[in-house]
Amino acid sequence: MQNNKNDENNFEILNQFRPERTEILKALHSLQNANPQHYISSDAMKAVAKYFNITLGQVYGIVTYYSMFSTKPRGKYIIRLCKSPVCYMKGSFNLKNYLEEHLQLTASTENISADGLFTIETTECLGHCEQAPAMMVNNTIYSNLTREKIDEILHALKTNNYEL
Amino acid sequence: MSEYVTIQINDKPIVAKKGDNLLKVARENGFEIPGLCYHPRLSPTGACRLCVVKIAGVQGLVMSCTVQVTDGMNVIAFDEELERNRRHTLAYLLAEHNEEYDATYVDEFKPLIEKYQLLNTKERPIQSFWQNIPRVIDDTSPVLTYDSSKCIRCFRCIKACEELQGKGVLSFADRGIQKYIVAGLANWGDSECDGCGECIQLCPTGAIVEKPNREVIDVNKIQRKVITSCPYCGVGCQIEVWVQDNKIVRINGVEDVSPNYGRLCVKGRFGYQYANHKERLTQPLVRKNGKLVPTTWEEALTIVAQKFAEIKQKYGNKALAGYSSAKCSNEDNYIFQKFIRIAFGNNNVDYCTRLCHASTVAAMIRSLGDGAGSNSIEDFETTDCLIVIGNNIIETHPVTATFIKRGKQKGQKIIVIDPKWTPLVKYADIFLQPRLATDVALLNGMMYVIIKNDLINKSFIEQRIEGGWETFKQLEKVVMKYTPDIVEKITGVPEKLFSEAAIMYATAPTAMIATGMGMSQQTVGTNNVFALLNMCLITGQIGRERCGVNPPRGQNNVQGATDVGASPIMYPGYIPVTNEEIRKKVADIWQVPFEQLDPNPGLTTLEIMDAAHERKVKAMYIMGENPVVTDPNQLHTIEALQNLEFLIVQDIFMTETAAYAHVVLPATSLFEKDGTVVNSDRRVLRLRKAIVSDKNIWPDWKIIVEIANRMSINIGNYNNEEEIWNEIRQVAPIMSGISYERIDKQGIQWPCWHEQHPGTSTLYTEKFNTLTGKAKIYPVEYQEQSEKPSVEFPLVMNSGRILYQYHSATMTRKSEVLNTFANESYVLIHPEDAQKYNISNHAKVKVVSPRGELTTKAIISDEVLPGEVFMPWHFHEAPVNALTRNEKDPISKIAPFKYSVVRIELV
Amino acid sequence: MNYNNWQISLKDSDRYDLNNIENYIKTSGFEALKKALSMNPDAIVESIKKSGLRGRGGAGFPTGMKQSFTKRSCDNCNQIYVVCNADEGEPGTFKDRYIMEKNPYIVIEGMTIAAYAVGATKGFIYIRGEYEKSIQSMQHAIMVCYQHNLLGQNILQGSFSFDLEIYIGAGSYLCGEELTLIESLEGKRGYPRIKPPFPAEKGLWNKPTLINNVETFSHIPFIITNGSEVYASIGTSESKGTKLFCVSGNVKQPGVYELPLGITLRELIYEVCGGMEANYEFKGALIGGAAGTFVDVTFLDVPLAYETLKEKGATLGSGAVMVLDNTTNLKGLLSNILEFFKHESCGKCVPCRIGTTILYEHSKNISNVDINWMLQQAEYMAKNSLCPLGQSPILPIKSFSKYFNN
Repeated sequence: MQNNKNDENNFEILNQFRPERTEILKALHSLQNANPQHYISSDAMKAVAKYFNITLGQVYGIVTYYSMFSTKPRGKYIIRLCKSPVCYMKGSFNLKNYLEEHLQLTASTENISADGLFTIETTECLGHCEQAPAMMVNNTIYSNLTREKIDEILHALKTNNYEL
Repeated sequence: MSEYVTIQINDKPIVAKKGDNLLKVARENGFEIPGLCYHPRLSPTGACRLCVVKIAGVQGLVMSCTVQVTDGMNVIAFDEELERNRRHTLAYLLAEHNEEYDATYVDEFKPLIEKYQLLNTKERPIQSFWQNIPRVIDDTSPVLTYDSSKCIRCFRCIKACEELQGKGVLSFADRGIQKYIVAGLANWGDSECDGCGECIQLCPTGAIVEKPNREVIDVNKIQRKVITSCPYCGVGCQIEVWVQDNKIVRINGVEDVSPNYGRLCVKGRFGYQYANHKERLTQPLVRKNGKLVPTTWEEALTIVAQKFAEIKQKYGNKALAGYSSAKCSNEDNYIFQKFIRIAFGNNNVDYCTRLCHASTVAAMIRSLGDGAGSNSIEDFETTDCLIVIGNNIIETHPVTATFIKRGKQKGQKIIVIDPKWTPLVKYADIFLQPRLATDVALLNGMMYVIIKNDLINKSFIEQRIEGGWETFKQLEKVVMKYTPDIVEKITGVPEKLFSEAAIMYATAPTAMIATGMGMSQQTVGTNNVFALLNMCLITGQIGRERCGVNPPRGQNNVQGATDVGASPIMYPGYIPVTNEEIRKKVADIWQVPFEQLDPNPGLTTLEIMDAAHERKVKAMYIMGENPVVTDPNQLHTIEALQNLEFLIVQDIFMTETAAYAHVVLPATSLFEKDGTVVNSDRRVLRLRKAIVSDKNIWPDWKIIVEIANRMSINIGNYNNEEEIWNEIRQVAPIMSGISYERIDKQGIQWPCWHEQHPGTSTLYTEKFNTLTGKAKIYPVEYQEQSEKPSVEFPLVMNSGRILYQYHSATMTRKSEVLNTFANESYVLIHPEDAQKYNISNHAKVKVVSPRGELTTKAIISDEVLPGEVFMPWHFHEAPVNALTRNEKDPISKIAPFKYSVVRIELV
Repeated sequence: MNYNNWQISLKDSDRYDLNNIENYIKTSGFEALKKALSMNPDAIVESIKKSGLRGRGGAGFPTGMKQSFTKRSCDNCNQIYVVCNADEGEPGTFKDRYIMEKNPYIVIEGMTIAAYAVGATKGFIYIRGEYEKSIQSMQHAIMVCYQHNLLGQNILQGSFSFDLEIYIGAGSYLCGEELTLIESLEGKRGYPRIKPPFPAEKGLWNKPTLINNVETFSHIPFIITNGSEVYASIGTSESKGTKLFCVSGNVKQPGVYELPLGITLRELIYEVCGGMEANYEFKGALIGGAAGTFVDVTFLDVPLAYETLKEKGATLGSGAVMVLDNTTNLKGLLSNILEFFKHESCGKCVPCRIGTTILYEHSKNISNVDINWMLQQAEYMAKNSLCPLGQSPILPIKSFSKYFNN
């Protein structure tokens, strides 16, 4: 009864929210954060539809509209590299290539590194332009990035495997 | 009371209603401003940007579809700049568009491409890049296919589903250039989509196309598009039937015409396959050596005429009876009852209404004076508070339900009262779930709350109820016994909930009730409705616009059949058969001796079957009914039919009942008929012949006339249906003013007393139709059921309908589409009971009642209460009526289809 | 010039940890609220009008007018909402984040005063989902305010009640557009609504809604405490008060600086930010973000104010100042901006959905850019698009072609 277990977890999370539409985005964030693979599963979407009394299509529409949400499993660490104009000027494109090479992974929401740890995404402006280039790993910002700094961060993530 | 304003479009002065949509006004006045996302039935979207105009005093270009006209508005709809911008927009759209066209739909985009000279790819300012956009094709729905490459992202389908049908199944997924339409989690077949096809009808570019006949249909080869009324439920949806090679290939809703304003349900749009089905009866059959064999009309009709005459002579005129049909036209039914009354010489004519809203009609006639719904379908959207009781309205009257859902979007309060969860609960403010057959207690309890809270309407009681205050006091004496704790105990509904509901209903500025089979099909059916009417009357929630009581009718002409006299107690127009004066008038019109018309009420539907069982009725004429499946206690029905000396069945298919007939006569289907029907809100609507039937298939009325002729009995000779209708108008004064000509485009609601009369949208606004003009209160007490659960039969079975099948399913199960959605019998059982009786989900089970048994599939569901189970009754292989009983309500003579004790065993 | 004379949004934030309510109160926090609650609400609106405060989100609409429109729309309505737009997504902009992280109570105080002024009892702060720290600090501040009776029922034992909660975005630039933000707040996809009606008339759940930017709300306590005259004495003739400038690029000290409107680009770069980084030469700037305008050296002495920039065909926008230097790949930058628009277009209207796509595709081929063709498309889009997003590409493209197309 794997499904029921998931369902229970989903509804446990959902019960923290008022069943009103203004709570949906928050609820989706919570469901996504609670998932070790940082995505919103079909079961979770079904639970959201039921909890908020809306249709599956509406839930799917919302989830796929907002770029922070994913309907596909992702790595334990989502690296969101800023590609906004300032970071662009500061060489974020090279860092992307570096990251991709380093992790043997093409930047895309759909790709996970072989060890299951990483997904690389590019993102619009993270609002840390005074410290460009910047990236976000799960919810933590890293800025003034250089190759060396990226090496350090990845190393720490890989070896300590710490919770972010 | 609308205010008019004057505006100018390209210097032309135009008078328009204030607040009207500018694009609509412009188009109505000959300015063909292009536009693809705009649809008159939808809220403006402003997505396609084609309807740009300039308005003096407004900066920049304005989308005319988003503007409401105001006085003095000066508009430029066409100039060089606007046309240039439109052309550029079209060129943009073309660049992302797949232009392949297979002629299976009407494309609204193509004519614009031509008009703006963009056909030639070399003349396009933007290069096509649609092939670089991920193409999404969703082919999982049973009724349609979506192709994103043909989609112009206009929102019409999304809004059709949300705003018109109130379902909200569709959405865009993704965003920007990649966005596309989804249902469910990007899987249409797995979504909440119920296949109504509103999105197909509104799609302008064939991105959503219907599956049925996709290989066949060619829009250039359509022979005709005929407007007629839907053959299914009693909403009376106006449909446009597309015919190609004398076959129905598509059905659309007729835009802008009541009662459906373009909307349809899955049955109305896709349930037409039966008409051209290979199993249609195409020649008369007679029983020879125990077997039904084909014969000529001449032989069949001669046998029928001889047999009827012979039996009448041998056993007297009481030995004959007929079942008329809610599926036949007014003209057919009128001729049928005329035949029974003249040729049989009795009033033994009835039909399935007796198994349907008989209790409702019986109570309403006694209490209010009319048996029909008091309001118009549009009022379901505009009333402030609606009680839906014993009526799974989303599944049984899907288009009426669209009005309710739209009302909900505007803040309507909805109270659902049903022992079984229904889809409307999702939209409801309050859901009361009483145990089966405890309605009187619940309603009396609600009246207790209303009286205790002093929410009665005193002036209404004094002025509009017979006996006024005194009558009310008698009612009060009865209902005051129904204290909340007693009611809670009987019904299982918490006091808080029914109190809230009672107060919500009583205090609403306007309130309506929709009642259904759940109330009617019980041995206490009439009392149920009396209780409902009492609540309605003491709160004064009737006799005004948007207030009243409505029984949405289950069949396309169940209303009309009684209206035109298919009743053992009423002549056409609700005139009692016992009324001598009227009998004289009718005899005069019919040109028969007055004495020949029987002054005594005839037998009702189930009484006829009982009489057949007892061999008192010897011959039966059944037109378009299937009692073996639809009547209660199937074994009893079959025995009754076997006991008959002579049975003729006139139908479109070889039904379960026809199997017992001596003669079977093939009749035309609705799509092959001219005539009229009457829908649930008393609207007389036209039927028009869409396809030509096989020459050996005859119209029902014509068959009847031919039988009468061969019996040397004159029931009139008619050249066409209109002549019959005009006779009905003479006999039934409520129809007097309704001519074929007047209802050519829009139906008219009876009563309509003369040709200048507009028809009647709301009944009882001035007086009730009783002799005194006042309504009557009939206090009623809760009665326990004679049949009670026991150790042997511990569960109570409820029965009902589902969206995808229809009654005995003779018509719907011929549709592949409908069968794909639902083609299997089941029994819903509460999780607690499932555990108690050790039944797993989807287990094959036997359902046994004191009358019989059947085999079906168990579905564990909390839609039903513990101790209760539910079965849909459409499936002949699991005939629910093998389990029901033929005990009758003493007044309406209905059977308790909603209450049979059963047990469930694993097979 | 002492550039720290007039700190409003960031007042005392360099001296104290203002995430601690004790410190905020110590620096006269919530004094304005106390004063406001003793005032006639209409007088507050008047005062805001007189102050000349204009919306700091980018459009620069007079805040007092917005308040009175909202109030006026609520004849007989039963609910008004106040919404704080903290969906800071304009590239190069990070000022609201500063305020929320460093001075969260001032936002709450400003919103509460505005709510009292327009008669709202319910408010939302819509923070973009990427701003984890802002979410944390605002969430904490709201909780503390409830504990101190600064939010909720009968604020400061008076008769005014106001509930405030946080709403978290999930990655959509377009949701920074006010009506789209409201759609998103209603739990839907972020589609722009047809304007009019404006939010003041029909906003959240179709009720009158006052929606302002974080920075705008943060100015209200100052105006209440010091009076509109004092506020109006800061800035230029049509651009009153201070502004947070977000300076990025190869300057010595990039960052957020609160300065009076009217400061010049030269002052900003060379005095406030310490000049260009060594080896880099000032080439121009992109002011206002992606939906902003390029300027060149001729702008160095133009005061950064709404009216002065408008005069020269530029825009102040959100206050983003991305400094460009001699190493910047300008065509690449333009393409980067156009990619951004394509990515963020919701796709609702045809000109934007297709226009942003073809503009980006065209710009990718840097050696072969036909700027006139792009201008044509962008002009068509500006005229025909439904919302500001589709109307924006013209700004960078036109200014690019004017100053850098050689």
